[in-house]
Amino acid sequence: MPSKMKSCENYLAELTDAVVAAAEPSSELRSHLDACASCRAAFTEELQLVTAIDTGLRAEANSEVPASLLPRVRAELNDRSVPSRSWMPARAAIATAAVVVAAIVFVRGFVLDTVPTNPSVNTSTHNMPSAEIRPAPTVVSPFGMTTLPTKRRSFRPTKTEPSVKAEHAAVLIPAGQKQAIDALLAGLREGAVKTGVLLTTNPEQPLRDLQVLPLEVSPIEMKPLEDVSAESASPNEKTRR
Amino acid sequence: MQELVLIQPGRTAEKEFAQEGAAAALRREFEERLAECGPLAYRVARGVLRNSADAEDVAQEALMRAYRRFERLRDRTRFRAWLVRIAFRLAIDRARSSKRREVRETLWSQSAPRPSTEDLAATSEFQKHLDRAMDELPDKHRLVLLLAAMQGHSLEEVAEMLGLPMGTVKSRLFFARKQLAEKLRCHRR
Repeated sequence: MPSKMKSCENYLAELTDAVVAAAEPSSELRSHLDACASCRAAFTEELQLVTAIDTGLRAEANSEVPASLLPRVRAELNDRSVPSRSWMPARAAIATAAVVVAAIVFVRGFVLDTVPTNPSVNTSTHNMPSAEIRPAPTVVSPFGMTTLPTKRRSFRPTKTEPSVKAEHAAVLIPAGQKQAIDALLAGLREGAVKTGVLLTTNPEQPLRDLQVLPLEVSPIEMKPLEDVSAESASPNEKTRR
Repeated sequence: MQELVLIQPGRTAEKEFAQEGAAAALRREFEERLAECGPLAYRVARGVLRNSADAEDVAQEALMRAYRRFERLRDRTRFRAWLVRIAFRLAIDRARSSKRREVRETLWSQSAPRPSTEDLAATSEFQKHLDRAMDELPDKHRLVLLLAAMQGHSLEEVAEMLGLPMGTVKSRLFFARKQLAEKLRCHRR
């Protein structure tokens, strides 16, 4: 028999586990308890101990709830009639708004950096005395980007803005130069012509200050008005005279 | 260009009315849950603190926190689980930070012993040792022990409340009781 081979000490751990787990002792342990009085006494003591622990725990865990608890909570609820919402949605909204604003600033900054300040427009206005700047509803930029004449608010410093906004300006050119400028713009779009070429100075024809010729006013011939009262008189009046 | 916003006062009033209605419904629902779960919060706190006044404060705080989050805790099971955890955590925090332990222990000897059929449990000395042994248990074992000791809580319910598998609850309960038994063995009469 295995029970004869085990000493009582070996059963102690097993009987404690059986008591703590509130499980039925194994048949081997039960037969040992039937045969061993000291182990039976130890088992009874363990059972009493665990029962005492459970009783103490139940007493603690099921203590009477004070009658004042729920009225206290209700009174506090009345003070806060509407549950204050968690800050998490507000924080999330603020964070989202911040991300959106940052994204807009970044994208606008990127667009303004990639679109040059349209040097062709500025230089051409310098080179062409007959150029005239006037507002236009829509302008096609040399890079094929259509810009609408909407008011744009930029977060960038104003010093980087061109003196004449390209999207608000159109350039009138002499009729004979239109084809050449069209070809230049096409070259710019395709990348065949670098924008830097527009800024290079021609050593043969250095840039000069614009010269405005004085206005020439041709002399006006002044004639006194003729007395037309006699000529404009009606034939009836003439006959009466 | 200046943007114009059309303001419709009627719609605002409707919205406010709807909000008030929703808040009232929320409050009613919470009150129902309060009657059901308020004692649970108190008992969890009491099991940790073993002091009625402190436990009441903690339960109240836990319930108010639950109210603030009630829109997200409307599910009954979730609400109970959340409340148990927050009450237990608040009670543990209070027990650790509170310096009223000595006062409580002196008050304990003056309070009337609870009626008990068991001789061991009836002695305040044994109860003090039990309290101390409970304090030394790991938090996760302690909570399982408390919830399992509460009337009407099956192990399935404890597992559901704590979001734990049944096996985990059983093993925690077993080790907690065994630990208590080992610590209290020398104090039995």
